[in-house]
Amino acid sequence: MRRLKWLVPTLYVVFLMLPIYWLLNMSFKTTNEILGGFSLWPTEFTLDNYRKIFTDSTWYTGYLNSLTYVVINTVISVTAALPAAYAFSRYRFLGDKHLFFWLLTNRMAPPAVFALPFFQLYSAIGLFDTHIAVALAHCLFNIPLAVWILEGFMSSVPKELDETAYVDGYSFPKFFVKIFLPTITAGVGVAAFFCFMFSWVELLLAKTLTSVDAKPIAATMTRTASTSGYELGLLAAAGTLTIVPGAFVIYFVRNYIAKGFALGRV
Amino acid sequence: MARITLETLRHSYVEKPGSDVDWALASLDLEWTDGGAYALLGPSGCGKTTLLNIISGLLRPTEGRVLFDGTDVTDKDPVDRHVAQVFQFPVVYDTMSVFDNLAFPLRNRGVAEPAVRERVTEVARMLELDGLLARRASGLSADGKQKISLGRGLVRSDVNVVMFDEPLTVIDPHLKWVLRSKLKEVHQRFGNTMIYVTHDQTEALTFADQVVVMLGGRVVQIGTPVDLFEAPRHTFVGHFIGSPGMNILPCAVDAGKVVFDGETVALDSPPRAVPAGTLELGVRPEFVRFAPDGIAVEVVKVDDLGRHQVVEVRRGAHAIKLIAAEGEAIPSERPRIAFDPRRARVYADGWMVEGGASR
Repeated sequence: MRRLKWLVPTLYVVFLMLPIYWLLNMSFKTTNEILGGFSLWPTEFTLDNYRKIFTDSTWYTGYLNSLTYVVINTVISVTAALPAAYAFSRYRFLGDKHLFFWLLTNRMAPPAVFALPFFQLYSAIGLFDTHIAVALAHCLFNIPLAVWILEGFMSSVPKELDETAYVDGYSFPKFFVKIFLPTITAGVGVAAFFCFMFSWVELLLAKTLTSVDAKPIAATMTRTASTSGYELGLLAAAGTLTIVPGAFVIYFVRNYIAKGFALGRV
Repeated sequence: MARITLETLRHSYVEKPGSDVDWALASLDLEWTDGGAYALLGPSGCGKTTLLNIISGLLRPTEGRVLFDGTDVTDKDPVDRHVAQVFQFPVVYDTMSVFDNLAFPLRNRGVAEPAVRERVTEVARMLELDGLLARRASGLSADGKQKISLGRGLVRSDVNVVMFDEPLTVIDPHLKWVLRSKLKEVHQRFGNTMIYVTHDQTEALTFADQVVVMLGGRVVQIGTPVDLFEAPRHTFVGHFIGSPGMNILPCAVDAGKVVFDGETVALDSPPRAVPAGTLELGVRPEFVRFAPDGIAVEVVKVDDLGRHQVVEVRRGAHAIKLIAAEGEAIPSERPRIAFDPRRARVYADGWMVEGGASR
């Protein structure tokens, strides 16, 4: 029994990794091989799929578009959430608790609810099909999330830190930037990560609010499936590349996220 | 350094304070002389921390003024008041080294780097932090962090006042003693005005020249430790300071005589008139003794504490404690006790009746 204790975790990891492996496997195959039969690894190993993505502008601009609006959104969300979270964590004001809860309720509606109003609004004011349009739309969900996460981290910093800094001769802005922010880097990291993640995987709003100039990669992928036949190898390669940024970001914040969980805010 | 005057200070955390309970500080007039070592003593929630925060400028009082050397600073920010404050729990700037933490208040005031170095080294040596100066502050134990907080409070020599808000709560007992004597030493060496908040009477009495006792947002007594011990102005002071606390017994005043449970108690100068309010007789256990001609009681229990014995006796429903010398025989047959006529006092609604007793 004891000699078999590695078995369950191994099975679990295999189970988790299987779809990712299959995607990777497919991305190195030709479409014909994928459709032709079952093989555990590529028999005709090819990098053509990746080559196509990195050279064909209709493909790589998809990534650039996605990254652009995701980064804009993350920056806006965290920047807007920092002062808000500070206010919620440090001051008592009329209706503060209700407002804080209401922030969360914003996340309870599916994004589809907001697709139509955003579409109409952005078309009317000429923001349709721009990166900033998608970035702003995602703020609706990401700012409350970031406020919620940051508030937890900020509240775990004692108020006396602020007070000591004032007594020691720092003004509020100086304190906030030079002492407070470095103290809650973990929180900023976690908040940024979640904003990044949400914005990166959100498809519906991103697709509705763009047509050509700001089209996200996920939209490019669905299009290819319907127009020029089945380019399964190409799609798998695109899928693999779509996982990369998320995996990359999560690598950097993995330790902070555990702390976020401990604070009950992730 | 400065003389700090508080004029009719009141503070409330409630928007529109109505009744008495809304006031965290209910009218304070206080003067802290320059270079004094003060202890601010009182139970939790009596307004000690509020008072400190008002002096340092973190809180703006609802009413009243704060004066430093006669200059009104009520509207000034903490930065401009030149004070130092140490809180109950360690506050360190995590991202900085121990040295930078200690140097922080100096650098913010534009002190030249050689002077910073000299001063930080001196304070670090005093607090036994000299080996850790290069370390990052975040990695230290709670003790170490609190020493940094203390060091930051002491590093500037030009502050008006240094305030400690129960600074030794997180510190190990043996180190507590060491740090307390260090603070005392610093005070004697630099002569800063120091205010030390605590709810531990030993700490207060060993640290301070003057003890300010607060209760429910009011100052009930200011005095030397000896004053507080010998002439508590309020039953709370009598009860709070001293171990065991003062005996507080119901009494009546009748035609210049103080009567406790049917027995006349001799006082050097009893109240001339009958004071209004609930009357109580306060007498410290140290000033109660067994006497053959005293009030008849029964002995409940005797605690031998080595240097002295604490004897608990009963008179009807009233428990009375008294301190007997080491080895003193406790009478077993019909014990009687007497109160020291110079030290027993009459209190009306908790407050000592003026002129009721004199030394």
